[in-house]
Amino acid sequence: MSGAGTEQGAGGTGGARTGEARPGGEFAEFARDRAPAQREQLVSAHLPLAEYLARRFANRGEPLEDLVQVASIGLVKAVDRFDPARGVEFSTYATHTIVGELKRHFRDKAWSVKAPRRMQELYLRLGNAVAGLGQELGRSPTIAELATELSVSEEEVLEALEAGHAYRSASLDAPAGEDGDALGAQLGAEDPSLEDAERRATLSPLLAKLPPRERLIVYLRFFENLTQSEIAERLGLSQMHVSRLLARSVAELREAAEPRAR
Amino acid sequence: MRARGEVRLVVPAKPEYIGLARVTTAGLASRLGFSYDEVEDLRLAIDEICFAMTGNEGRDGTLELRFLLGPEGITVEGRGHFQALGRQPELSELSELMLGALVDEHFLDGAQGPLFTLSKRHRPGPAKPQEADK
Repeated sequence: MSGAGTEQGAGGTGGARTGEARPGGEFAEFARDRAPAQREQLVSAHLPLAEYLARRFANRGEPLEDLVQVASIGLVKAVDRFDPARGVEFSTYATHTIVGELKRHFRDKAWSVKAPRRMQELYLRLGNAVAGLGQELGRSPTIAELATELSVSEEEVLEALEAGHAYRSASLDAPAGEDGDALGAQLGAEDPSLEDAERRATLSPLLAKLPPRERLIVYLRFFENLTQSEIAERLGLSQMHVSRLLARSVAELREAAEPRAR
Repeated sequence: MRARGEVRLVVPAKPEYIGLARVTTAGLASRLGFSYDEVEDLRLAIDEICFAMTGNEGRDGTLELRFLLGPEGITVEGRGHFQALGRQPELSELSELMLGALVDEHFLDGAQGPLFTLSKRHRPGPAKPQEADK
């Protein structure tokens, strides 16, 4: 990543190197005087580096302007902490600090939307209750029935549902299918109609981007109009799992149809 | 569908606020006795149609949602109040197909409003064992 600052030319790395090369350079001066005007000048001289790095983190569901803000905070920290006596180039040091700041931003963000442990546990219990009660009742249970079964409020059931589903593929580094398991090995032979559905699903160009299992689930739900519980039964998956895969696949299809910013 | 209750929600037209529409829809559907299957369908449907309104990037402005609760089910009416329309909201072929499978009625007009309507009727399953009819 050392070439990071070069894109925008002299404002970036070049200036920094000059600062390091001469003992009386800008950074040495700032390190000595700590004058606000110098600080401001150094920050604005290296803003292109911050912007460049922010752009590299775009496309992960955060607006670029926010990322530039975060990167700029990293840059200010780098200017404040940089010690020219260490013999490291400023661009290297700043890149490290800025990227750290950006990564922390994403981590904090992910953390803040992450479900509390209590909700995760409830979500797991909910999965069992959906299956158990469904079997017992011979139909899909209502939210109220699930709440009674689990001795929680309806709101808590709904909250757990919301928490458990990744409706949005927040980060593009998370690949689509968690396992590219061969569908044929799982079912196929026992269920010729399913094999047929699988073949037909492959014909739809819209679904081509999804991993096989997700593709089949989307196909069965939207093209064949099976309910989620019916799909779960046919594929031998839990209904919660089908819900989750379906929600995620739909989000992925939407993403593929209209990719987010640059 | 005659309304017996109405809830309104106005949110910024950004993807991160669509979750509120999902939660509200699910909460109201659950109040009407919708099954888990039906609630999940509604959640996907509201998500899909709201994203069609805002786009994946979101828009400047708000999305106004009216939830009408009737004896037979729920209707959600949405209207976008966007500062600049840019690309007109529309339902893709796949969205149409999905919504057709998820809800009983759906409609989106990108030119007028833009606005949408979405309805799902509740189909009660076999009698609940715990409160069998006398």
